Amino acid sequence: MATQIPSLDDPTVLVQTPATIYDAVPPYAPRTEREAEFYTLRDGEMLINLGPQHPSTHGVLRLVVKLEGERISDVDPVLGYLHRGIEKLGENADYHHAIAYTDPLEYISSLFNELAPVMAFEQLMDVRVPRRAEYIRVLACELNRIASHALFMGWMALDLGGLTPILYGFIERDEIVEMLAALTGQRMLFNYMRIGGVNGDLNHEFLSRLGDWMSHALREVDANTTLLNENEIFVRRTRGLGTIDRAMALNMGLTGPNLRASGIPYDVRRAHPYGVYPELEFEIPTRSEGDSYARYMLRVDEIKQSIRIIDQVIHRMPDGPVMAKVPRRITPRPGRAWAAIESPRGQYGCYAISDGTDQPYRFRIHDPSFVNLQAVVPLMPGNLLADTMAVMASLDPVMGGIDK
Amino acid sequence: MSTVPGLGIVKGMTLTLRRFFQPKVTVQYPEQAPSIPPRHRGRLQLLYDEWGALKCETCFQCAMACPIECIDMGGTDTKDRFHVHWGPAEQYAERRQELALRRSGRPVPDQEFVSFDPVDTSALDAILEDEEHDPARMLSILERTQAHYGYLPVAAIKHIAHATGAWYADVYGTASFYGHLHLEPPTRHVIGVCRCPACSLAGSGAIRSALESALGVPLGGTTPDGSVSLEPSDCHGENGGAPWVTLDGARQPGITAAAAVQLARSLTGAATAGRA
Amino acid sequence: MSVVAQPSGRLSPAGRMVVPLLGTLIALVVVIAAGIATGIIPAIVIWLGGVILANIAIVRFIVAATAILLFTVPTAFVIIFMELKVIAFMNLRIGPNRVGPWGTLASVVHGLKVLSKEDFTPTGVDVSVFTLAPVATFVASVLAFMVLPFGPGLFGADLNVGLLYFFAVGGLGVIGLLMAGWASFNKYSLLGGLRSAAQLVSYEIPLTLSVVGVIMLAGTMSLNGIVQAQSGSFLDWFVVRQPLAFLVFFIAATAEANRTPFDLTEADSEIVAGFATEYSGMRFGFFFFAEYVNVFLLSGLAVVLFFGGWTAPIPWPWPVHFLLTPVDTLVALVAVLVGLPLVGSLLLALPTWMVRPRLSFARAYGTWLLLFVPLAIGLVLLYLLLNLDALLGIVWFFIKAYAFVFTFVWMRATLPRVRIDQLMGLAWKWLLPASLANLFLTALAILVVRP
Repeated sequence: MATQIPSLDDPTVLVQTPATIYDAVPPYAPRTEREAEFYTLRDGEMLINLGPQHPSTHGVLRLVVKLEGERISDVDPVLGYLHRGIEKLGENADYHHAIAYTDPLEYISSLFNELAPVMAFEQLMDVRVPRRAEYIRVLACELNRIASHALFMGWMALDLGGLTPILYGFIERDEIVEMLAALTGQRMLFNYMRIGGVNGDLNHEFLSRLGDWMSHALREVDANTTLLNENEIFVRRTRGLGTIDRAMALNMGLTGPNLRASGIPYDVRRAHPYGVYPELEFEIPTRSEGDSYARYMLRVDEIKQSIRIIDQVIHRMPDGPVMAKVPRRITPRPGRAWAAIESPRGQYGCYAISDGTDQPYRFRIHDPSFVNLQAVVPLMPGNLLADTMAVMASLDPVMGGIDK
Repeated sequence: MSTVPGLGIVKGMTLTLRRFFQPKVTVQYPEQAPSIPPRHRGRLQLLYDEWGALKCETCFQCAMACPIECIDMGGTDTKDRFHVHWGPAEQYAERRQELALRRSGRPVPDQEFVSFDPVDTSALDAILEDEEHDPARMLSILERTQAHYGYLPVAAIKHIAHATGAWYADVYGTASFYGHLHLEPPTRHVIGVCRCPACSLAGSGAIRSALESALGVPLGGTTPDGSVSLEPSDCHGENGGAPWVTLDGARQPGITAAAAVQLARSLTGAATAGRA
Repeated sequence: MSVVAQPSGRLSPAGRMVVPLLGTLIALVVVIAAGIATGIIPAIVIWLGGVILANIAIVRFIVAATAILLFTVPTAFVIIFMELKVIAFMNLRIGPNRVGPWGTLASVVHGLKVLSKEDFTPTGVDVSVFTLAPVATFVASVLAFMVLPFGPGLFGADLNVGLLYFFAVGGLGVIGLLMAGWASFNKYSLLGGLRSAAQLVSYEIPLTLSVVGVIMLAGTMSLNGIVQAQSGSFLDWFVVRQPLAFLVFFIAATAEANRTPFDLTEADSEIVAGFATEYSGMRFGFFFFAEYVNVFLLSGLAVVLFFGGWTAPIPWPWPVHFLLTPVDTLVALVAVLVGLPLVGSLLLALPTWMVRPRLSFARAYGTWLLLFVPLAIGLVLLYLLLNLDALLGIVWFFIKAYAFVFTFVWMRATLPRVRIDQLMGLAWKWLLPASLANLFLTALAILVVRP
């Protein structure tokens, strides 16, 4: 059908008729071809807004879902409800301060948010990080990865209607977060990474909590996974659902567990090693199915690998300083730097440009959730409304990172 | 998925049943304090700057911003006298200025309180000295102040607040609560009308409306020239079947609406004549 | 009237409220005394007694309906509390523990909260349908209660088509949900309403077919009769002879009560709250109540059909009427007739005496004693009426029913939710054939075993 597509610059496009409660579609003429296609309802179709406030959209994602009965025929994600302008804030702060702003980006795994910018700034400054600091970074980050994945397992179950696993996930996370609070000083927004090291050495409180936790971590994970891993209802709802094959995953540029669940063993820790990961033994778990169940199970496997890494790190922890000598006010030479790490959701990168002043000229965060969220649109059509939640949960996006 | 159908569900059910009997992890917060690690950054601490002054300017912005009012402040005011809780803006504004001066190295002048309508505070200072600057004796201070000035000027209230450390709002609240304390200059005559049911039945309503129209002010108001104010008074149930109307506190027995109007006219006329 | 004429200033505030009531009470006593003296009241009583005796069935129905309506409220409160506490324990939490001992009054506070909330009617709703929907749902649940036997002789009505009535009336609840979903002017509600219609109608069929085997074995559709058919030890319960039917019944009942894993109609992670999305205040409370009443209802039905209702698992080897021997009856009679008024009056006279300082303690005690003596006599009569058998039956019934309620809650704490197509597939592809197979097997067995 030939819908007139008005220009985006036309101010009259925006409001033509006042909206009424009976309006199913936006009260203005479509502004793009996609909008025209999406908001044209055929017989028996209806639009429903999942979000921005909805019990299971992982923050403030809004999914406009076109439904035919219970079957989804199209979906349109709307982003930007949690945009805080963190990149711009970082460009208006000096290098030390910019790191503090990154914490609330992906609030489930804050330490990774700090690590990538810190590594980029270290490249700009040409700072060498002490080995003990590198080990502490790996230790803290892997703990945070477990905390993030533990919460993911709970969310996945909650979105499928299970009430209990989220609490077990939070118990697991709370132990880790308390531990990290003993190390970093905060429970959620750690602000621990520093250019040239970390803020503060390991302390007795942290180590004793870590020892307590390590004594039962694997057992607890195994126990908690029996709730869902073999549960017929859970397996039937997730197996074969939202399948991403190898080609599709590569084409969309997915990273992290979502990519590895499709059978591609790409992990930044192995592909482009950073820190002390080359010295550590661990496997990159992969699954070949690429469905929601594989993505869930892959994260369970990753938790076990992270526990393995932590075990090695504790035993190999070298002595020495935890901070390199870095001036208080840093002015790197003009240049650009890119640092990428493997966050719990995939490749998390920071691109920083220095113009010679004490503030970054450009401070760009590449967030894996944003890329992974692309998969929502091709995966949804043909599924049922309830599957939206299963697919969304298995992709594990965090809106804080997507909207920045 | 297990080979036996339903085994996965049974395993999960077993786990939840086992958890049912396990010890619980909830920390009952107010009764049971969580163990906060020593490195925790969320503690509140007051820091001193290199001039030896508290970095905290007692601006109370943290206390005001705190949504659950868990932040409170205590200590002495700048004169090292009284306990301070977060209070009037005029106090912390002064303090900030003082600290700024101290940091800049310039001499810190004695605080001279300047209000928009200054009064001679020497007598007030004597009263305050006598009452030991104690905010608990606020009523006595206010009464003696009124006895001296005839009413309570705003500058005097501000001075009392400043000197005792009480909030301006508290002092003002005390002054405006009591009927015998006046915030405005006294009028020459006060006509009081009781509004209790007994007096209303005896006809005080008619007298009141007659007085209101004659004076041109509602009950509780003062005529523009300040000569007469019309105020509610209380007969305490002893009106004896007649409306309770007072002139400067003295009962006017057997008064009628016409007589009241005449009384009001005479008073305003006399006042106008006197003033002219 | 000197009491009334007392200056009220000498009374405490509570006393000021009580004194006018005392005046009314005295006036009432005077009127009644006059009525008895002139013979008017005895005549009325005799006439009324005759009318009641002539229409004893109607009176019984009214009393039973009132009792059941009153019974639903504490039942819902207990189940809500169980849900809060059991799920909390399984989540390794403590759950409600602030209101009442161990938080037992938390659900009561929930009820009061719901009562005091604004009863909001959003723009665009079909007001009359929107208002009636919760009532329809609640009434269906309560009506189904009428035929449930709680103990021997303790039921609203013993219909000879009791089971049919139960399913017919219980199935009406879906109309309320559909009304709510349609009238709410909300797409989530609409989806919830349609889901509930599809789900409940589909699951009615295996639910009803699964119990046909039980009906054939018992030879009656009266729930009372079905329980009596199972009397004996626990080996006589129908769950032993009809395990497949019980399995089908249990799954279908879970779906019928909208419980996890079949709570699709109010799937909070998908369609927010389903049909109840736009409801608030007591209207939402009615849905809430109906849901929990339904849980108890289906638990009770499972107990009645498959677990022997009020019968004990192992019958007492000696007769249980032992308290009704003349000596024991005398002891109990004395205890209730003498002990209860003395202690009860003491308990109530103390606060009265404290409220009214001028009242002598003896007078306060005497007043309450006058009230308690009839109460004690009434209790003794009730005791004689019901006898111990009924009491034990009620206890057994509630133990079994709440075991089922616990299972429902336990499942809610553990299981995720199924999808709508899996739900329908389960009903039509598995439960319906299974219930039919059970039906044929039962029929065959009856033909073979009892020619």
